[in-house]
Order: sequence, then structure tokens, then C-alpha cells
Amino acid sequence: MIRDIRTYLEELKVELKGMDIALVQDALSDAEEFLTTAVQDALENQPGRSDADVLGAIIDRYGAPAEVAAAYKEMESRFPRLRRPSRPLKREKWLSAYFGVMSDLKAWGAFLYMVLSLLTGSIYFGWVLMGGSISAMSLILIIGIPVASLFLLSIRGIALLEGGLVEALLGTRMPRKPLFVTPNLGWIDKIKALLADSVTWKSLLYMIVQLPLGYIYFFVSAGLLLFSLSFIASPVLELVFHKPLELWRGDAFTPVWALPVVSAAGFFLLALTLHLAKWVGKVHGRWAKYMLVRK
Amino acid sequence: MTEAVDANKKFQKELNSGTAALVLLSILDAAGKPMYGYQIAKLIETKRPDLPMMKQGAFYPVLRSLETSGLLESYVEPSVAGPPRRYYRITREGRETLAKWVEIWDLTKVFVDDFLKG
Repeated sequence: MIRDIRTYLEELKVELKGMDIALVQDALSDAEEFLTTAVQDALENQPGRSDADVLGAIIDRYGAPAEVAAAYKEMESRFPRLRRPSRPLKREKWLSAYFGVMSDLKAWGAFLYMVLSLLTGSIYFGWVLMGGSISAMSLILIIGIPVASLFLLSIRGIALLEGGLVEALLGTRMPRKPLFVTPNLGWIDKIKALLADSVTWKSLLYMIVQLPLGYIYFFVSAGLLLFSLSFIASPVLELVFHKPLELWRGDAFTPVWALPVVSAAGFFLLALTLHLAKWVGKVHGRWAKYMLVRK
Repeated sequence: MTEAVDANKKFQKELNSGTAALVLLSILDAAGKPMYGYQIAKLIETKRPDLPMMKQGAFYPVLRSLETSGLLESYVEPSVAGPPRRYYRITREGRETLAKWVEIWDLTKVFVDDFLKG
């Protein structure tokens, strides 16, 4: 007999062990939303009864953890068919597969993420540095604990924003979970929960690492884009504007016969850049999910 | 005896896996406003308290999968007390699909009834 929602959620989690994190989070937040609302509803209609009194009947209607877990597992197994009904698998020619990446929104999204990460990485790092040092300095004073807690809370807020950015540009699912699982917590308990949650510390680390990563992402992506575009535009640059492609031989012009080759190489490099961006996006998405989302 | 009960349960489950999506789509189409899971479960319960076809917890994964296939869309809104709620509403694609599904359902009903009546 389950006496409180927390126990239910824990049992549900056990039943879903080994499933995708996103699925587990979906199932847990669905159950939490339903059970909490149902208990509130029942208590309004039957005042004087306790949570535990009404919960039994509610779980009876909602389904035991094993039943609910089975429903999610079943849905997940049918999921791929539902999601991609109209995309037949066909073997593409490698050339069109290779250049097809240019019309792939996901690749451009990942590319945009790489370019933006210099900015976001610097902001995150700056915030951690500033907030961290203010918190550290104020810890010797009485106001230290609230200041440090506010700082850590802001880290969770930024982690949520970054999660949104990752989801929008990289396409990785980043389920948003309420920060405090138990409703009506006191301030002290909220601070304790914040400190005990590994996601708080992992988010902090993520933000620090995002600075060097941001630099690498930005210079690699922007550099490759610059090279590709100047290669592509080399016939126009050299023949119309008389500007040599000063890449390998000082200010020498490329022989006219070689210009189409250089231009084609530019397209090749652009596609390569996008393939790289797509791959980085995938890996970074996994990293972000591991660091920013509660298991 | 238990085998017969198991077979009944399995049959009901197989029927539910298709009809639940149809029922949820039509509820959200008729509602004309976004609804969250508990509201939908409550509506079904109030309308047919005598027919507990499936556990209310089984509606949620169906809502999630309808959203993934683009037939529903959702957004999260904080609630006054307790965890935030996920509101679902039907998309245009969802409405078009629902119209087709209703046709399929009508045909299926006629087909099955034809044989049941002999």
C-alpha cells in the first residue's frame, strides 16, 4: 500500500529502470502532476481526510507503478513508427548524401549553436566567476548563505535557458523538471535540496567548461565558414574585384583554369563544415543532457 | 479461469491502444481550449463512470506520443500549488487526422457489427 506520492514516484522510477532518461522524466512528471492534482481535488471534496486516505483510490484509478510503466514502455516501442510514417528509407547517392547536409536544418542549427557558444560561454563563465566570488566573499558574513543560495538558484535558471537553446538548436530533448519535487518546502529545505542536487553542481561545471568549448566551437566553425565562402567566391573575387585569394602564395592570383576547382572545393568544405557541426551538435547535446538534466 | 481473464484483458488492451488516441484527439478537438491530463481524465470519468476502460495513467503516454507525431502540441504552465501542468491542444494536422480516423472508425464499426449480428 503506497502512502504518499513520493513513494509512488520512486516505485515508478524503479519500474522504468533502464529506459531512456527522457521517457522516465516524462512518466514521473506526468504521474506527479496527476497524483498531486487528484489529491488536492479529493481533499477539497472530502475535508478532514488525509493525503494517505485518498491516495489509495486515486492510484487505483491511475494505475499501479508497474501498470503505468508498462503503458509508457509499450508506447515507446511503437513510437518510431508513429514518429516517422512518411519517410521511406532510400539509399541516396553518396554525393547527394554528402551535399544534402546543406539543406539540413539540424546541421545549420548546430552550426548556429557553435557560433553562438562563444557569446553564451563567455556570459556563463563571467556569471560563474562573478557570482562565485561574491558568494565566496560573503560567506564569511551572515548574508553569505542566502547570497550563495541565490547564486546557485540562478545557475539552475541559466541551465534551464541553456537547455532550451540546446533543445531548439541541437534537437536534443531536455525535459524540464520542476526544481523542487516536494511542494510547500520551507526555505531551509529548499536550500538543502538545491545543495544536495548533483545537477546544481554539474550545471556549474558545465558553465565553466562552456567557455573553452565556446572558443573552440566559434573559431572552428567561423574559420571553416570563412574559408569555404572565400573559396566559393574566388572566381568573383579575383576576376571581378581583382582581389587575390591570399591563402597560400601571398598576393598571387590563382590561375584562371583552377578557379572552378577552388570554388568547388569551397562547396565541399562548406558541406564538410556542416557535417562537422552536426556531429558536434549531437555529441554536445548528449553532454548537455548528462550535465543539465536530472536523471 | 485466469487464462480467460488474461485473454479478456489482452483483448481490451489491444482495442484501447487504438481507441485511446482517437478518444483523446476528439476530446481535445471538442474542448476548443487546451486541457491538462487530469482534466481530460476527469472528463472521461464524469462522462462514463460505469466504463473504466483503461487506467487513467495510460492516457498520458498516448498524449505524449500524439504530440511527438505532431497531432497535438503542448506547453507547460506553473500551477498555484503543486507541480507545473502540461496543457495539450490539437494541431491542424491533428484535426485532419481526426477526421480520417473517424471515417476509419465508422467503417470498422460497421464491419465488425455486420459479423456480430450474423
